Amino acid sequence: MGWESWFISTFSRALAYGTPLLLGTLGEIYAERSGVLNLGIEGMMIMGAYSAFVTAYTTGNPWLGVLVAGAVGGAFSIIHAFATITLKANQVVSGLALTMLGIGLAGVLGRKWVGLPLFSSLHKVTIPGLSAIPIIGPGFFKGQTLLVYLTMLLVPIMWYILFHTRIGITIRAVGEDPATADSLGVNVTRVRYLCVIVGGVLAGVAGAYLSLSYRPAWTEGMTGGMGWIVIALTIFAFWNPLYGLLGSYLFAALYHLSYRLQTWVSPELLKAMPYAFAIIILVIVSRGTLHKRMGAPAALTLPYTRGEQ
Amino acid sequence: MKRKALLIAVLAMVLVGGLMATAAEYVPGTPLKVGFIYVGPVGDYGWSHAHDVARQILVNEFPWLTTVYVESVPEGDAGPTIDKLVNDEHCNVILTTSFGFMDGTDEAALKYPDVIFAHCSGFKREPNLATYMADFYQIYYLNGLMAGALTKTGKVAYVGAFPIPEVKRHLDAFAIGVREANPNAEIHVRWIEDWFNPAAAKEATEALIAEGCDAFAFTEDSPTVVQVAGESGLISFAHYSPMYKFSPEYCVSGELVHWETIYEDFLQKVYDGVYTAHNLQNVDYWWLLEQGAVEMGAETGMPINPAYVDKLKAAVVDHPTLGKISAYDLVETRLNQMGDPGITFDPFQGPIYDRKGNLQVPEGMWMSVDSLITMEWAVQGVVGPWPGEP
Repeated sequence: MGWESWFISTFSRALAYGTPLLLGTLGEIYAERSGVLNLGIEGMMIMGAYSAFVTAYTTGNPWLGVLVAGAVGGAFSIIHAFATITLKANQVVSGLALTMLGIGLAGVLGRKWVGLPLFSSLHKVTIPGLSAIPIIGPGFFKGQTLLVYLTMLLVPIMWYILFHTRIGITIRAVGEDPATADSLGVNVTRVRYLCVIVGGVLAGVAGAYLSLSYRPAWTEGMTGGMGWIVIALTIFAFWNPLYGLLGSYLFAALYHLSYRLQTWVSPELLKAMPYAFAIIILVIVSRGTLHKRMGAPAALTLPYTRGEQ
Repeated sequence: MKRKALLIAVLAMVLVGGLMATAAEYVPGTPLKVGFIYVGPVGDYGWSHAHDVARQILVNEFPWLTTVYVESVPEGDAGPTIDKLVNDEHCNVILTTSFGFMDGTDEAALKYPDVIFAHCSGFKREPNLATYMADFYQIYYLNGLMAGALTKTGKVAYVGAFPIPEVKRHLDAFAIGVREANPNAEIHVRWIEDWFNPAAAKEATEALIAEGCDAFAFTEDSPTVVQVAGESGLISFAHYSPMYKFSPEYCVSGELVHWETIYEDFLQKVYDGVYTAHNLQNVDYWWLLEQGAVEMGAETGMPINPAYVDKLKAAVVDHPTLGKISAYDLVETRLNQMGDPGITFDPFQGPIYDRKGNLQVPEGMWMSVDSLITMEWAVQGVVGPWPGEP
C-alpha cells in the first residue's frame, strides 16, 4: 500500500472525525474565555444529536436538523448559565449535572428512534476543481459534508472576533477580571450568558454532525465521551480557536491512525495513544512560565458578584 | 460497653442478612416475576437490545409472567443490583446477561439459595444458577463463505470488539468460511477494544477500506460497520440486530439471535416445576442453529439479500470434498448440515492448523464446547494483530 493511501485516509479522516471535536472546542473556548467552565458539553452534544436525528427523520430536511440541534444545545446550555451565573452555583457540579441530564434525557426520549436508518442525511460534497488535484484532492476536498467546511470557516472568524474586535476584548476582560470590566460598564452577566449559549449552540451542532453525517443513525450514548475530549482540547488550544483547529484535527488523525497501525503496534497501546498525547500536551501547557503567558482565563470557574473580591 | 454495642450490631447484621437471604422459594404454577440485568442501554441496537426484544416477546406470550429490567449496569455492580431485585422487587428468577456479571451472580446465588438465577455466556453454575448462550460461530462461518465468494480484492475485513475467546471463535469461524470459498483470501482484522463504540468502529472500518478490504464482518453493538461499508459501496454482514435496512444494497446477510427461544424453554420449565432452585447445577444451554436460537440473515426471514442470490449462484467454488459447487449451494448445504437435527458438519472440523502452523484440531475431530469457549489461536489466513496469541 503506497504512501498516498496513508496521506489520503489520514487527512480525510482527520477532517471527518475532527469536525465535531472542533465545533465543541470552539464553543467551549468562548464559554471559558468569559470565565465559565462548562463540563456539560457531552450532554448538550447528545441532545443535539438526538434532536437533529428526529428532525431530519420526520421532516426529511437535514439542515433543519442542524438548526434545531443548535437551538436545543443553546437552550440546554441556559440551564448551566442560569445555575452558575445567576445562582452562582459551582461550575464543575452544574456542568457534570448537565452531562448526566443530557445523556439520560436523550436516552429516554430516543428509545423509539433506535434502529432506524436515516435516508435524509447530510449530503457529501465534492469541491469542483480542487478535488481533481492528485492526493490533496481526495484527502481534503472529497467525501465530506458541507458542515466540515463551514466549521473550518468558523475558525478564523471566531479567532478574529476574539482577538481583534471590541466584542472579543470584552469577552476576555470578563474572563480575566470581571470586577474591572464591570467598573468600565460591561454587563458581565450578559456577556457570560451569551458565551455559554454560543458554546451550547456549537455543541448541539457537533451532535447534529454525529447523527446526520458521521454516522446517520440514533443510538443511545452515541457521543461516546467526545465531550470530554473537547474539554481537554480547549486547554490544549490555549483557549485560541486556531490552535483548537490544530488540536482537533491532530487528535482525529491520531485516532484514525491508531487503527491503521494495528498491524505493527499492539491495539491496546494504540488505543491509548491519542489520549496519552492529550495528557502530555496538558502537562507541557501547565508548566510555569508558559502557563502564565498562555494560561487559563484568570476568573475561570469563579462566579462574579458585584462588590466582592 | 463498646464491645457489647459492637456485638449487638454484628448480631443485628447477621439477623438482617439472614432475613434477607430467606426470600421465599417459587411455587410452580403461580405468577412468576423475572428480573433482567443488562450491561448496556436497551437502546444500543445490539446485545442488550436483543435481550430486551426477547423479554417483550415473553411478556406477551406468558400471561403468568411479569418482568422488570435494569439497564446499563456496570459489570462490577451485579451484586447490589441483584440485592435490589430480590429484596425490593421480589423477583423469583434473575437473568444476568453479560459475561462480566459472572462472579457477582455466583455470589448472589449462594447468598439467595431460594432464588433461581441464570447467567448468560459464563461457566460458573450452582444448584440455583444455570448458564446459557446462543452462539453465532456457525453463522459467522456461513457469512464467511459468502464473503469469500464475493470479494474482488481477496481482502476480507473483520472489525473485532475485544480479543477474547468469544470474538476470536467467531472471527476464526468466519475466516474458515472465507478460505473454504476462496483459499487465497486474507482476513484483515482490527480491534476496537470496546463492545459499543460507533466512532471506533467507524475509524477501524475506514482504516480497513484504505487498505483495500471490500467485504466486512464485525462484532460491535451498532450498525456502524454496515453503514460505513455501504457508503463506500462495499458489502457487509450484519451483527446481532436486523441491520439490512441500514444498507439494503450492500448488506448481504448477517447473524440474528433469538434469545426468546432459550428464555421460553427455561421459564416454562421453571413455571412447570421442572427447574427449581435445587437442580440447575448441570443446566447449560449452548444453543445454536439446530435449536433455532440463532438465524442467518440481516433481516428476520431473509437469509440472503435477494440482490446477491444470483451473484452467489454464479460464483463457482472448486471445493475439495464437494467438487465444483456454486457458493449459493455451498451455503445452503452447510446451513442444512448444521441446522437439521443430527448435525453432520461443524466449521471447526479437523484438520485445522493455526496461523503459526500448529495442528489445533486433528483430522476427523470436532472441538468440544469447552475448547470452543476458551480458544485463543488464530486460523490461517488471518492477517493483523491477535493479542494473547498462544
